[in-house]
Amino acid sequence: MNRMRASKDMWLWISGAALVIGLALATAGNRFAAFIIGIVFLNVLWTAGMNLLYGYTGLVSMMTAGVAGIGAYGTVKLFLDYGWSFWFAVPVSAVGAAAVGVILGLPALRLRGFYFVLSSLVIQVALTLVFIYFPQFTNGDTGITQIPRPGLWLPGFGAVDLTGPGFEIILGLLALAGVAVVYMIIRSRMGAFIIAIREDDLLAEELGIDVTRYKVMVFFISSLLMAVGGAFYAVYTGFISPRSFDVLMSMNIWLMVAFGGRGTIAGPIIGSAILVPIPFLLQELYQIKDIFYGSLIILVTVAMPAGVYGTILKWWRVRRQKQNTAVAPVAIKRMPAE
Amino acid sequence: MVDPNLLIGLSMLTTGLVLGAIFALTAAGVTIVYGCIWLPNAASGQFFLLAPLVAWSLSTAMGWSPILAVAAVLIAGLPFAYLLERLLIRRFYDVPDRNIAYFVVTLGITQILSGVFSITWGQWSDQYNIPPLAEGVVFIGPFPLPANRLIALVGALALLGALFVGLRYHRFGRALRAVFQNREAAALRGVDVQRIYLGAFLLGTSVIFAGGLLYAMAYSFDLSVAWSMGITAFAIMIVGGPGSVLGALVVGMLFGFVQAAVSVFASPTAATLSYLLAMLVILLLRPSGLFAR
Repeated sequence: MNRMRASKDMWLWISGAALVIGLALATAGNRFAAFIIGIVFLNVLWTAGMNLLYGYTGLVSMMTAGVAGIGAYGTVKLFLDYGWSFWFAVPVSAVGAAAVGVILGLPALRLRGFYFVLSSLVIQVALTLVFIYFPQFTNGDTGITQIPRPGLWLPGFGAVDLTGPGFEIILGLLALAGVAVVYMIIRSRMGAFIIAIREDDLLAEELGIDVTRYKVMVFFISSLLMAVGGAFYAVYTGFISPRSFDVLMSMNIWLMVAFGGRGTIAGPIIGSAILVPIPFLLQELYQIKDIFYGSLIILVTVAMPAGVYGTILKWWRVRRQKQNTAVAPVAIKRMPAE
Repeated sequence: MVDPNLLIGLSMLTTGLVLGAIFALTAAGVTIVYGCIWLPNAASGQFFLLAPLVAWSLSTAMGWSPILAVAAVLIAGLPFAYLLERLLIRRFYDVPDRNIAYFVVTLGITQILSGVFSITWGQWSDQYNIPPLAEGVVFIGPFPLPANRLIALVGALALLGALFVGLRYHRFGRALRAVFQNREAAALRGVDVQRIYLGAFLLGTSVIFAGGLLYAMAYSFDLSVAWSMGITAFAIMIVGGPGSVLGALVVGMLFGFVQAAVSVFASPTAATLSYLLAMLVILLLRPSGLFAR
């Protein structure tokens, strides 16, 4: 990575942070809008994890919601029942959830294509049943209500109450950090390896890439992002139930990545920003949410496999190529004269 | 008078028989489509529920006789499946990893249909049953069996038998099995693969509809049947071996008896959970299933 790109990246992240804080402050007066923004930020974090898994490594995992659920239930258990600090409970339960995810997913990761998808779906359904039938940890179908928001102690500010836009800012910065993690992985050697695995895992194996090892690493990192998102979801909405982390959520996260544009950094962000607010804005028609998302899944798969951002990128590349070819003859003519 | 424990045992056996035949039939429908087109139909449970829901509406709200309603649904299922194939399924026939694409698309269909069910039939009732075709209890030797369930059992077994014979001896069945085994070779031998795909999808979907209708004739049902049946059919297909009708028959019967036995001692959810685990174990240890072709 050269220095110019590094400084360009830096400005990108700084403006991203400014945008996030600006959005959170702009909606501070309107709790409804602020809540939508907060949920969008959470989904940006989740889709970043899904994008690493599906967009860059080519693994369609349907158990992402389950991992987020383990992170959420683990954090809430430590935070409420054992009296841990929330900020300490999150990393512990996130690592725990990611470890559980890898242990559950490890045998499945050896399977290829459809069999991996199916195994992950089976694990997801089993996790949902576990959430329902072990009420001593999860309070069963009723769910856990009135989860309090944690406070935060900042140097220079003292104890900060996170009821206002503060929490949205934290969620936004968290989402940005998740996207940055994915971005840095993609720019690294590992990024090249996992993209090679996505394109042709047999060839990647032949080239000496330890396919299973990289799949496990990717799975662990994306599970971490999922679980952190789940933990923050729990304290942000104040309510979790097995329904919050069921297979529909896994599918919706997949949809946001596919709809926005898999395998691009901006795509999943665009996907979340477009798709998350829709059910909130359709309040009267909330019941058709499933029908709407389901139709969109089919539409994206059939008509727009590259997603919104991918389609724009393609269009833009074609346009630029046309311009270049239009300019080329002039350049060639000029050459002998020089 | 008969010993009550014996009676429970016998009714468990007959329940297992009826459930097993219906499971086997439905899973056969799913496995034919997967084996031939490579289409893992995640919406099979929703299809399984859709048919009896429509028949329920026809027979209760419109006052049709149950036989007429069932026949009408089976006939109406054909254009439904044809349209689906025409508009959606056909687009992926030449995609290399099409089973993943199909799985995602049918998950989308699942989401749509369950949304539709909850805003329509879910609002109208929470328990549905199709009026019985026949009253009374029939004793087959010592086995007590309500006449209605006997009809469902005979229907399911007859359809399964027809499926077996048809796939083995009929021209279409033989062409279908040829495409199962090797699409390119079948095409070279003059089999119209596109037409076989269409036929397999129509056949498989109709069989799933028939399974749902037979289930509804034997038992009353609610909307949760879709999820549990979808999981069960998939588990049977994976454990039995994708594409193996024999596997669907054997494992389907087995699961039927498991369900009947577990339902006596524990909740049906425990049975569903055990299918999930069986499927996972087979996926991890022997993805080609027990009765791999």
